[in-house]
Amino acid sequence: MNTHKKIISDLAPKKFGKRDTIWTISLIVIIIIGLIAYIDQLIKGQEVTNMRDYALWGIYISNFVFFVATSFVGSVTVAILRLTNNSWRTPLVRIAEIISVAAIIMAGITIMIDMARPDRLLNLFIHARLQSPITWDVVIIPSYIVISLLLLYFPLIPDLAILKEYFKKKKPTMSKWYGKLSLNWTGSKAQKAIQTKSIQILAIMIIPVGILLQTIDAWLFSTTYRIGWDSTNFAPYFISGAFVAGVGALVTLIYVVRKAKKLEHYITDFHFDKLGKLLVLACLIYLYFNINEYVIPLFTAKKGELTHLETLFTGSYSVIFWLVTIVGLILPIIALLFKKGRKPLPMFFIGLIVVIGSWWKRFVIVTPTLLHPFLPIQGVPESWHHYFPSLHEWLITIATLAMALLIITICVRYLPVVPIQRTIDELELNNLDKNTEL
Amino acid sequence: MKNQLKFRFVFLLFLGVFFITPRLQNLHAQEVKKNKVRLKADYFKIMNGESYLNLKATSKIEKKNTEVPNIDFTIYNIFDDEKITIGTAITDMDGKSKFIINSLSKLKPDSTGTFNLSVVFKGNDAFKKASKDISFKDAVIEAELITKDSLNYINAKLIDKSIDSVIVNESLGIQVERLFKSLRIGEEFNYTDENGTVLVPIKESIPGVDGNLIFEVILKDHDEFGTVKALVNAPIGVPIVTETTFDKRTLWSPRNKTPLFILVFANLLILGMWGIIVYLMVNLFKIKNA
Amino acid sequence: MEDKNKNSRRKFLDKGLKIGLATAIGSIGISKLTSKLNAKTNSSSNEKMELMTTDGTLIQVDSSEVMEMEHPKNPEYNVREGMPNRKMVMVVDLAKCKNALKCQSACNKHHYITGDNAWLKVYKMQEAEDTAPYWLPMMCQHCDHPACVTVCPVDATFKRKDGLVLIDNERCIGCRFCMAACPYSTRVFNWGEPGQEVTLNMDMTDHTPSPEHAGMPSVKGTVDKCDFCPHQIQNNELPHCVTACPNGVFYFGDKYEDTVTNGDETLRLGKLLEDKSGYRLMEGLGTAPSVYYLPPVDRLVDFEDGLEDFKEFESVEKPE
Repeated sequence: MNTHKKIISDLAPKKFGKRDTIWTISLIVIIIIGLIAYIDQLIKGQEVTNMRDYALWGIYISNFVFFVATSFVGSVTVAILRLTNNSWRTPLVRIAEIISVAAIIMAGITIMIDMARPDRLLNLFIHARLQSPITWDVVIIPSYIVISLLLLYFPLIPDLAILKEYFKKKKPTMSKWYGKLSLNWTGSKAQKAIQTKSIQILAIMIIPVGILLQTIDAWLFSTTYRIGWDSTNFAPYFISGAFVAGVGALVTLIYVVRKAKKLEHYITDFHFDKLGKLLVLACLIYLYFNINEYVIPLFTAKKGELTHLETLFTGSYSVIFWLVTIVGLILPIIALLFKKGRKPLPMFFIGLIVVIGSWWKRFVIVTPTLLHPFLPIQGVPESWHHYFPSLHEWLITIATLAMALLIITICVRYLPVVPIQRTIDELELNNLDKNTEL
Repeated sequence: MKNQLKFRFVFLLFLGVFFITPRLQNLHAQEVKKNKVRLKADYFKIMNGESYLNLKATSKIEKKNTEVPNIDFTIYNIFDDEKITIGTAITDMDGKSKFIINSLSKLKPDSTGTFNLSVVFKGNDAFKKASKDISFKDAVIEAELITKDSLNYINAKLIDKSIDSVIVNESLGIQVERLFKSLRIGEEFNYTDENGTVLVPIKESIPGVDGNLIFEVILKDHDEFGTVKALVNAPIGVPIVTETTFDKRTLWSPRNKTPLFILVFANLLILGMWGIIVYLMVNLFKIKNA
Repeated sequence: MEDKNKNSRRKFLDKGLKIGLATAIGSIGISKLTSKLNAKTNSSSNEKMELMTTDGTLIQVDSSEVMEMEHPKNPEYNVREGMPNRKMVMVVDLAKCKNALKCQSACNKHHYITGDNAWLKVYKMQEAEDTAPYWLPMMCQHCDHPACVTVCPVDATFKRKDGLVLIDNERCIGCRFCMAACPYSTRVFNWGEPGQEVTLNMDMTDHTPSPEHAGMPSVKGTVDKCDFCPHQIQNNELPHCVTACPNGVFYFGDKYEDTVTNGDETLRLGKLLEDKSGYRLMEGLGTAPSVYYLPPVDRLVDFEDGLEDFKEFESVEKPE
């Protein structure tokens, strides 16, 4: 019982320290600045961006793709690892699901920022055409948001009950809220049965839905004629890319949260080692799809494909492309193949590089293709031949990233980042095993 | 002596006025320089239809010929040095105007059977007055479709109504009415024989809605008769077959014509996902009430 | 004494004349003003008329607002369905094009285009180093398998029975997926306010916005493109580019009638395509465009003649 109490007090949410408050306030400031820039965009129209008739999708869309990709981490960690019986995932699942929820909610918000007429949002529902890939997106994203929220909530219920008791004396109002959200959880057989069954269903369901989400995201591009997008490879390429981005984000944030909440005892080197192996697996699969996407077309070297590849290999996007591929993908693979690379601190840096690389990789996927259409770009101002985001676009994009971090921060503040009940259960199971062994 | 002086003085004054007034007029003219309007008038007659004048007003503004809108005309029938007003017209945005002649019998021709009309523009603030005379005689085309030995022909006769006799050796054009401009059938020139008739075979197969075609027999821009056109309804066309996918279920149809596969598959997925979601939410309530 | 009287008389006359003149001018001015005011408030009757808008909805309008005007033929068809029994096609004779760009300026003018990207552009083309260069007038191809219509999530762009692909800029949400999907890069976007106030205002009186006259007005945050001028076709008139071309490059007509015309020549479409080996652009993509091109064989004009009018970075002339 003492260990139980210790576990609970270790894992219970704690008040914000000075550092945390500064962090949160900075995020809010960034978000407000972004909001101001967005309101300016609403008033003046999207001419405040640097998108024009040729570079018609820019970082709003690549940012959206990034968020969708990162939200795959829920499916991977909570579901796939669960169904493959990887029990080391226990301390990681809550953070993974929080990241997933934050990312997919931000994906929904980010795509609305790219709409030039957000006042006509309802048209997407009233006049929806099922033939359009965007409609498929409109269906799948809200579905994934709800499923992710449920997958966060169901395992959380026992922890909320625990926290209600824990805060009863010290923080009665907070305790009341935890109580309301814990749905009268007593741990009874009946409740446990419903909860376990629900989590099982969710875990199975979120995998096809998650894969469908990534696939539809890819189909937004591969259902067009554009060179660089019109690839039968795109859906699996995006799925594996989401795997990389999601696990990368998980690794980075796990390190930060672990340090901030002093959870070294619960999230150990062992977990990092396992995560490292998972990440390197993801990166290798992604590398495989990258080779299919960027090397094989060199064989037939069709004019259009060659132009696209030349843009990426030696042309105006070559710096970003090689940075993203070598520093963002190959270097992490090499580093993670060594045990030393899978220690917590190196993993943090590798995770960070992978996430930043993932963000810029999607920029390389979206805009270069648009700048070499089938017909030559003529009759438009010279600036339309290039694209670099404007101040408005940067401010708004950074604000969306800040908002995602803010959602994660708030969740981490009020929710136990390591599942309490599960940890207790597993400890008891281990003790039982030990006892029976003896 | 005095009288002579007075005379000279008055004479000089007279000359002076003569010389000064034009200059004054010049000064006035320089302030408001009016452009010249060029008028064009053509006579059109459609058999069993309307007769009208096509009027056009252009002007050379900054060395470019531009159409002039809002030029108002009065049209007169000139008979025996008399100007009988028969109507008014005003040009549109493209400088054009169509003046319909309600009934030719209301107009008075001269002794040669020629109708003399005058289109007069009285001038306005920007343009000088102008006028254009147009004269025409009344010609008639009688046209019909003939089928001989399972071949189709257009048979047309050209008659000068003023002297009630056929017109020989004039070229008639045969064309079929199309959406924008008519399509020429047969030779460019079909000269009327001594009976004033032409017989033009229709050799090609011509598509038309439900196989209906409207042929036009046309005397184009004749000096005496203007343009005369006769229409012949001929159901000898090839019925058109529309090839639109508008009524089919396609990927590019509106939402009420979604392809069935997408409709079924997507809705099944949505129902499946949200059915389970609803079930799970019910479970939440179950947990609460357990 | 007499002098004073003279002076006062003069002053009196002076003043009188001045006042008289002022009154005369003033009264003329006032009468003109009142007539203008009266003209505005002629009959504010409470009578309402029931009218139908172009998309089939019934609205109630004050009778006093309705004026007799010469309307172009009102469409007897549904704007989304199109003209029955017609299929509009265009044929572009590349052998005659010398980049005069009269088509482009006519289109820009009649659609009140204010952006930096024209809807009709003449491209300087050369497929390979050894093959001959030529001028390629390019506009919306009004494809029979339109990629843009397929991807539109809200049915804002649609394909009609008469072959036209039009845009409802009241429905468009500005996602630009149609622009990404179009392989001919023929759609333009209104990134900000179109700024048509100066050119458009006068001509907007008595004009109801409709997909059949694109650009009247253009809407911020929506897409625009060549509409094949249905507002002209309704009056049996050719699209503006066709009539504006001094070299007779554009032929336009109804495919079912198998006839196209450039204003001067009227020809059988099938024969024209056969004689001059007409083809369509990017046929292999399967878009089935409605625009045919006649290859630049037996050129009537030299390619180089068009170079002096070639502006690589401009397609819409801006007022000084």
